Amino acid sequence: MRLELKELHYKYPGSVGDVFRQLSCQVTEPGFHALFGPSGVGKTTLAKMIAGDITEFSGDINLHRIRHVLYTYNLERLPGWYCIREHLEAITPKSNRQRMTELVDSFGLQSCLDSRFAQLSLGQQNRTNLARYLLQDFDLLIMDESLANVDEITKEKIILKIKSLFPERCFLYISHNVVEVSKFCKQIVVLRNQYKAPQAVTLHGQDYNGRRTLKQTELEQIMLEIVNAS
Amino acid sequence: MLHRRVYQFLIIYFIGLGTLMLVKYSLNLSDYTIPGVSEIWTTCRRYFGLYLMAVLNTLCVAILGHLLSICMATVVGIIGRLTIWIGSFIRVAAYNIQAYPIVAVAPIIFILLGDGLSSRLLIAAMICYFPLLLSFIGILSEPVQEIEHFFESTRRMNWRLQVKIRAFENIHKLITVIVGSATLAMVGTIVAEFIAASAGIGYSIRIALYQSDLAKILVALFLIGVCTSVYLVFLEWLGWFIKRRLGSI
Repeated sequence: MRLELKELHYKYPGSVGDVFRQLSCQVTEPGFHALFGPSGVGKTTLAKMIAGDITEFSGDINLHRIRHVLYTYNLERLPGWYCIREHLEAITPKSNRQRMTELVDSFGLQSCLDSRFAQLSLGQQNRTNLARYLLQDFDLLIMDESLANVDEITKEKIILKIKSLFPERCFLYISHNVVEVSKFCKQIVVLRNQYKAPQAVTLHGQDYNGRRTLKQTELEQIMLEIVNAS
Repeated sequence: MLHRRVYQFLIIYFIGLGTLMLVKYSLNLSDYTIPGVSEIWTTCRRYFGLYLMAVLNTLCVAILGHLLSICMATVVGIIGRLTIWIGSFIRVAAYNIQAYPIVAVAPIIFILLGDGLSSRLLIAAMICYFPLLLSFIGILSEPVQEIEHFFESTRRMNWRLQVKIRAFENIHKLITVIVGSATLAMVGTIVAEFIAASAGIGYSIRIALYQSDLAKILVALFLIGVCTSVYLVFLEWLGWFIKRRLGSI
């Protein structure tokens, strides 16, 4: 499983400046990876290009053994005519029904099942939205700030659950939180502005899975590298 | 809700009536020009039943015309939301045609269809159809990206789901437009009856006009106002009920 971006060039329609100039990077294996960078650098744009939502660019996006790419972001909403339980049941493929119960439990959504989406808190909304994507068939899931407004403890629990449930899938986690990116992610693609070359730098995170002890010094080292790179 | 709307109408009606009386007595106008209160009251007692039936007749046609225009606007709005050429064509055509006054076309409808129910119904429907259509096209062609994204990326989106999402998300706007256009349906029916029909309160007003009988016209206006208020309140209640059933309030 490999995601390879080759010499991408893109500018927004009607704008003068480029967003990406000869951007190249790759994610070489399944796992929980990150797309990191300062605000406005083009993380969401790049995610949409990978997901196929933006197509007018030059360069190549090669997906090796990745057939289904899904992109989710934190402002998504569920239709208001369903309660959460009805919606999840309606959109979950039969083969994933077992997993639905597991995700609902580990994402702490049990108490939300009979509520409508608008009645949930922002954190609950984001967790629900992420859970429904995880119930779909995908090879690569791009999570654009999907765990925003979720408290740190629950966030850690969710990320560890995702890593244990889907070891053979690929995740690209977009976040501004340097600590969680360094701690949980395997490969960290740091996006920089178009005046820096190269525009993307790939670093390696701690890939913490909850089973081994975290090395504090190494974590701090990675965080420093990320901050310096961006 | 009902008493408030009827109460508001009564205030406006009696302010209007008071102004007429003020003009009559300050300019010393004859009863032939503006009838006195006692004459209006006598006319009211004599024609109340007859005019009430005429208003109810008009209201029935207005409701049918309103329903017809909602159905037409929904169908055309669904086609008009498409991004292919037919959607674009319908949107442009709707904007252009709505600028043409239906009242000017009404005589043609009467020549072709006569002065029966079909002409009244068609004119009522057409008068409230275009404002509805423009709103429906606007609402149904505006993507609700934050909901639709999931269904599109998981390839579950179809036209029924798309229409359902957009209609649900804009249910408040849709209900407001439907309630607003109810007044137009009533106006459309009365205009149709006024031009050439042989029934309804518009027809009764036309007869009263030929007789220069302002008292009859004032009684007719009173009944039109009360019945329209009741219909609007019914629609508002229906809208509130739908929103509650859908969980949007």
